[in-house]
This record gives sequence, structure tokens and C-alpha cells, in this order.
Amino acid sequence: MTGADAMVKCLQDQGIKVVFGYPGVAIAPFYNSLYNSDIKSVLVRQEQNGGHAASGYGRVTRKPSVCIATSGPGATNLITGLATAYADSIPMVAITGQVSTKLLGKDVFQEADITGCCEPFVKYSYLVKDVNDIPRIFKEAFYIASTGRQGPVLIDVPIDIQKQEFDYVEPGEISIRGYKPKVKGHIVQIKKVVEAIQKAKKPLICAGGGVILGHAEHVLQEFCEKNGIPVVTTMMGVGSMPKRHPLFFGMVGTNGKPYANRALAQCDLLIIVGARVNDRAVVAPSRLEQNRLIIHIDIDTAEIGKNIGPTIPLVGDAKLIFESLLEYDIQPDYGTWVEDLRVVKKNCVDNRTFHEGFINPCLFVEHLTERMDEDAIYVADVGQNQLWSADNYVMKKGRFLTTGGFGTMGYAIPAAIGAKMAAPDRQVVAVCGDGSFQMSFNELATMLQNDIKVKIIVMKNMYLGLVREYQYNNYNEHYIAVELGDIPNLEKIAQAYDMDYFHVKSMEKMDRMIDEFLACENSALMVCHVYRYDKVKE
Amino acid sequence: MRGIFSVLVENRAGVLSKTAGLFARRGYNIDSLAVGETENHEISNMTIVSTGDVKVIDQIEKQLNKKIDVIKVRRLKELQSVCRELLMVKVSYNNTNRKDIMEICMIMDAKIVHVSTKSMIIELNASPEMVESFIKIILPYGIIEMARTGVIALQKDE
Repeated sequence: MTGADAMVKCLQDQGIKVVFGYPGVAIAPFYNSLYNSDIKSVLVRQEQNGGHAASGYGRVTRKPSVCIATSGPGATNLITGLATAYADSIPMVAITGQVSTKLLGKDVFQEADITGCCEPFVKYSYLVKDVNDIPRIFKEAFYIASTGRQGPVLIDVPIDIQKQEFDYVEPGEISIRGYKPKVKGHIVQIKKVVEAIQKAKKPLICAGGGVILGHAEHVLQEFCEKNGIPVVTTMMGVGSMPKRHPLFFGMVGTNGKPYANRALAQCDLLIIVGARVNDRAVVAPSRLEQNRLIIHIDIDTAEIGKNIGPTIPLVGDAKLIFESLLEYDIQPDYGTWVEDLRVVKKNCVDNRTFHEGFINPCLFVEHLTERMDEDAIYVADVGQNQLWSADNYVMKKGRFLTTGGFGTMGYAIPAAIGAKMAAPDRQVVAVCGDGSFQMSFNELATMLQNDIKVKIIVMKNMYLGLVREYQYNNYNEHYIAVELGDIPNLEKIAQAYDMDYFHVKSMEKMDRMIDEFLACENSALMVCHVYRYDKVKE
Repeated sequence: MRGIFSVLVENRAGVLSKTAGLFARRGYNIDSLAVGETENHEISNMTIVSTGDVKVIDQIEKQLNKKIDVIKVRRLKELQSVCRELLMVKVSYNNTNRKDIMEICMIMDAKIVHVSTKSMIIELNASPEMVESFIKIILPYGIIEMARTGVIALQKDE
């Protein structure tokens, strides 16, 4: 078989059903081999969106998904998709075509040193120089992407290697000297953690994206219920606890709930799980380090001590660690602490503002997510819409997907496409702002062409709202380069892509419209009219 | 503080740039970097010397370990390891100072490996501290050019 045939066979061996990509000459042999296979090829409208679609798909299936691009500009367009997946720790295998090995380094047409370019944004990368390496490289790539701290792996395959005939030999057992991911927590450290929890009076768990990536939501809940420990989350951790859970106290951070931040400031033991403590979640980690014990549980050793210095580090997989922690009897009594937090939460003033003829975005998200199916998938884009979403999303049994790590505008539509393809029977709703919508609405064509029924909401305020808010707060309302105007006509866009169209501008009609929108068979676009000067922080 | 890392890596194309890139990207200093194959030609040994506070040095070790091409990272304690550096320095001389230079070389165990009518090349294989002080002493005589390998180091056994 040829190298390209082998690439396709390797994908089949990994159980890959769909690839998201954009072809070109340098990857043409691979596409030709794909032609005769049972793998579905989805043509996205730009390579970056192929990366996001694979991200959405991979987050729902919890397995590495595949995106494809050609050499040069195709590959460089993909970089943002990879960087997004890297920051969000999403398992993914990206395949790029490359110019012929003889021409490498000669700056020929559409040549880019993509493994070099992507080094800071991938977990690992390969430039295939020998066709016989293909079976091993592909097997390793999927292994690396899906184990330890997950992330994207790039395989760059020169066109001559794809065309070359060779005898396919099954790859042996994976053995990578420098890669032995640790998943089980060290028993000594686990005992220390148990002791610390026993001694604590005001413990708090801060759950990050690692809890969801490690599929540890259920054990986390079981653990906090068994011991009565309250939980807050980071943005990437939204969805690890049901919104109405009595021990859940919201999202922390600059844009989080005040009572969540209060809990963070008042606890005497902070248990951080699967979170890298970035600047948006914890503004001043050095202040947190004082006056309290910090336990940091993460699968990535390098995350521990990077942004916050823990008292007790514990390396391992969140699910396995909670399972071992559940074996201990802690006999806790944090009743008063939790009661205090509940009082703070209850007394928290709701300072939502309402404007006649506009929709309050916080309430909209709350009502929308209440009305969505139990197991619906909600994809939030980036900007004000994302923060309104993360803060007000009502978690039931669904998924909340967003790029809290990299914050890439235009993520929602392609990621929703991927999510819907991974779970065709589940309701998928993407929420964008009018800025982020325009970054990837070309993918509405991909939706229509592949009959992917996604519901899309545009929170329209005719501004790049979050930047406008920043200019309001920091630059004397010097609004520059943030005004979008009433462009484009979204109703016409919906028509152009055969979508049902809804426009909601009054609070009275909101719920009924949401129901209609969610119930419609077709894919639909809903414009949610948000007051131009609404802010995330009132 | 100074951190000396002895890093075993896969001897593959791109590994040096990946490792060096890590330092550049995360803002860590590289005081010196020396790379060479080990007895196993699939594995290279990099000796990297860096400075930073304890947190930074700890992070460097973890970030190096995270690299898939990195097989093993060892942090060497200066007192418990043998550190060496090779220096070559071209110095100009004349009849009046030639003897002085030769004397310095003798005291410091440096070797004159080439002599021309105006200059000589001196070689010194010593600990990094010795190399530093040799450069200081020889500087007034007029260094024309110099090259040094960077530190390589091995841990002593008990």
C-alpha cells in the first residue's frame, strides 16, 4: 500500500469515523485514499475551524479527533485551532501535508516549517521522513494525545511519503522512553491530603477543566457530598457540578460570582483540582498562598507550583484520586462553614439591569439553559456572551463547552458542528456575540451541506462588547475599533443558509420564543437583542 | 541561584531547538548549553546551566521533564559533581610580556597550543570558576578572540 493508504488505515484502527479538513495538493494523496474508506470527510470552510470542529467532536466523544490541512497556508491557518486545543487540553491529532522531502527547506511553493511553527502549541509533533514509520507514529500520536494531560499532536507528512509504496507492518507495543504519564496519586501524598482535610475547618474545592477532561464529575460530586465540602469552579470547570447543587457556589475569577470569590478568600484549605490557576481565575495567587493550606491536584506535574505554590502537591488523574480519597473516612463537620457561604450567596444582591426593548443576557442564558434538554450541549463563544453564559448556565446533565484557556473568538459554531456530529441525537446550542459570529459564520455552509442541525444564538449589541467594556473601564470611554454596526442583516444570513430565524427583543415573549426556537426541526438562528451598553460587571 | 541540569534526550532532529525554545518561550536564562552524543548514539546528553530563583529552577526541571523527547532530567549539585569547561583564547604578545603569559599559563595549568609571531592560542580545561578567573587575569594582555564550550558535568558517586 502507499503511505496515504497507511495513514487512512491507521485512522480506521483508531476508530476514527469523521475527519474535519480542507484539502490541497500536498495532502491530495491522503484524500485520495480517504475516498475509498468509510471515514466521513467534512469539508470545513477554513482550516482553523477544522481544528475547532475536531475540538468539539473530541470533547463530546472524549477521544482524540482528527483535523486535516494542506501544507503552507493551510497548515498555518490551522495553528490557532491547535493552540486553542492546547490551551484547553483537548485530545486531537492534526495531519498536515508537506512539500516533498527533497524540497524541504528550499522555500518552495506552499512550504511552511509547521512542526517548527507549532512547537509551543502542540503536545508533540512529527515530521514523517520514512514511510515505514507511519504505523508507529500514528499509534504513538493517538496515545500521546489521549493520555496524561491531553492535547493536540501534529503529524506532518510530505507528499512523496504519502505516495510511496511500502509493506505495511503492524506497529508494536508503544514504548516512548521520555513519556510515562502518571495517573495514580502517590499514597503518601493522598494520606497527607486526607489529614489536611480532617484538620481543616473551612475547606473548599476549586474544580477546573481537568475534572471534566478526566471525566471525574461524578466522583467529585460523590466526594463533596460524602464530606460536605463546598465546591467552586473555574470557567473550564463549569459543568463539573449541577448549578442547583446545595454545595455548589459558582464560578470564581474576575468574571465570576462574588460569593464564589468570597469563598475562595475565606477558606482555610483550598483544594485545586485540574486547574492551572490562570490570571483570570485567580488574580493574586500570592495573596491566596498566605493564611491557608493549598492542595494542588493535577495530572501535569509542571502545573503544580507554576502559578501558585501548593502546600501539598498531588500528581495524578482527578478521577482516580477522588476514588482513592473516597476510601477514607474523614468524619467532617463543615456545617457552619457551608451555612455561612449559603447566607452570603443568598444575600448577594442581584444587580441585573433591564432596558425596555432589550433582553437581559444573564436571564436569557438562565432561561434558555433551563429549557434545554437535560443532556443538551451548550457551546459558548468568546466575549461578553461567554461570561454571561459561564456565569448563568444551568448545568443539568449536559455539557458546557468553551475555550476558557485560549479564548479564541469564532470557536462556538465550528465546535458545535463537531459536537453535533459526535452526538447527533443531542440538542446542541451555540451562543455567540455578533463579533465572534462573524469570525466563523462561513461554517453555516458546512452545517447546511452536511445536514447538521445546530441552534445558534447571536447576542447582538452591535459592539465588540467585552473590549468596549474594557475601554469603558480603563480608557475613558474612548471607543475605538469596537463598533460593529447593524451589519450584516442576520435575517438574510439565516435565509441564505436555510435556517429558521428568530429575533427576541422583549422579556415577555422571551420564554415562548426560546421554546419555539429549541423545538424547531431545522437548524435555527436566534438573534437576542442585548442593550448596547450592557456590561458583564454591573 | 544556579541550576545545572544534565538532560538525556532523544538524539533526533529538532530536539535541541525544542529544548532551547522552551527556555526562550518561558523566559528562562541559558547561561550555557553543551550537547553531545552519549555512548548510545540514540541518546544525547545536554548540560544546561541556568540562573533563577528556586521557583524558576523547579519549573525548568518540570518543564524539561514534560517534553516527550526528554528521557531524564538530573539536577546536579555543584559540590557533588565534576564540572568542566574548555576555553580557547587567542592572546597577543610581545617580547616584554611573553614570559608573564607563559608563567600564568603554567600556574593555572593552561596549555599554549599554537604560537604565531604576534599571538598565541591558549587552551584551558578547568572548572567554570577557574575559567572565569583565567579570563580575568589574561584580559589585560589583550584577548584577540576566544571561544568556550560551556559547562559539561557529571555527578560523583558516593
